[in-house]
Amino acid sequence: MENAIYTLHDFMLRTESLTYILIVAALCGFIFFWRFLSERDDGREHLGADREEHPH
Amino acid sequence: MPERKIVIQKPALTPFNVVAGIIVVVGLIITVIRFTQGLGATTNLSDYNPWGIWIGFDLLVGVALAAGGYVTSAACYIFGLKRFHSAVRPAILTGFLGYALVVLALHYDVGRPWRLPYPFIVQSGTTSLLFEVAACVALYLSVLFIEFTPAALEWLGLKRARSIVVKLTLVLTIFGVVLSTLHQSSLGALFLIAPSKMHPLWYSPYLALYFFVSSIVAGLSMVIFEGSLAHKHFHDKMDAEHLREADGVALSFAKAASWVLAGYFIIKVIGIAQTNAWGYLGTGYGLWFLVEMLGFVLLPCYFYAIGAREKNLKIIRRTAAWTVLGIVVNRFNVGLIAFNYHLPSSERYFPHWMEIGISVFVVTIGILAYKFIVTHMPILYAHPDYDAH
Repeated sequence: MENAIYTLHDFMLRTESLTYILIVAALCGFIFFWRFLSERDDGREHLGADREEHPH
Repeated sequence: MPERKIVIQKPALTPFNVVAGIIVVVGLIITVIRFTQGLGATTNLSDYNPWGIWIGFDLLVGVALAAGGYVTSAACYIFGLKRFHSAVRPAILTGFLGYALVVLALHYDVGRPWRLPYPFIVQSGTTSLLFEVAACVALYLSVLFIEFTPAALEWLGLKRARSIVVKLTLVLTIFGVVLSTLHQSSLGALFLIAPSKMHPLWYSPYLALYFFVSSIVAGLSMVIFEGSLAHKHFHDKMDAEHLREADGVALSFAKAASWVLAGYFIIKVIGIAQTNAWGYLGTGYGLWFLVEMLGFVLLPCYFYAIGAREKNLKIIRRTAAWTVLGIVVNRFNVGLIAFNYHLPSSERYFPHWMEIGISVFVVTIGILAYKFIVTHMPILYAHPDYDAH
């Protein structure tokens, strides 16, 4: 059976490979999610915007 | 003609007061039974299940939902987002009361509560995660108390003492973030000691990370949720700054919560990939796990994002309440449902009614204390005699 895990090496290869694929997919997905979250902002939510507003 | 002041006397016997009064009386009676007859008379705890809802709800949920204090003060004082300033005091108050009630509930849960200071004075116990949790909770409760005192000192008119405490704000905030990072994660790490007792879908080497990240979501959601309740019930106590900033706080926190929930979802999926627990998703526990992940993580993530994009406060406030419930579900799952999953149903834990009674009593004490403090002290408004800090 091709999907069977017999050794620790099989297990690590399977789980680590999938983890790396998931991480890359998630990082790409986060770019689109951030754009989805922020595309309607009026540009006043960046760090430091408050300092310009409140000089003290 | 002299001005006449009309004082409207509110009736003492409101439905809230009656219900709260009954809960407090019943809670006090159970307290007497607990401390005179012991844990056996008031709980269903056993050697298999030494941690019940006083840990699963009062401690794990209480600490997570009290995270609003460090999240908000870090955003305001460390990241310099001063537009959240009006949200800091209510968040610190909620955090302080949350931790105080956690410690109160611990007195009921531990067999010999007078030994709670033992980790610090009798033996160090530094190899135990519980020691770290005990040290951090004790220190952070002290930090939250000091952070809360400016409001109390303003109320008492102690200007000199208040000016000293205010100077410590940044140091206390940094200290609070460090301590919260430590013990929020350690509460999850406590379960790492029992990998064979936790269901594989909830057990992960990343449990500490899950608890810490979810505490940020809990803190953000709790600030929004508590803010919406305060607007409903204490609107007259809020000053112009609070009312002006409240919508912005909710929108920004919703955006942050959506972002953190997305990250939390990913690390949970990665956790399953790491332990290769996919096969369990088709079981009954797997379905419940999917309910938690899809219903209480992905769904609020989406609705927070929609609420922040559309600037729809109604969606955000409802999502905040749903997310708070989701945190309760998660902590119950880790502490009670997924724990000891292998035991036969006759050995599984279900709380005694008196345990539930004490948990309701503790929450009621918190609500009453919050109501008293918000009514008397400058929490939702800035005291006119003092500058903002």
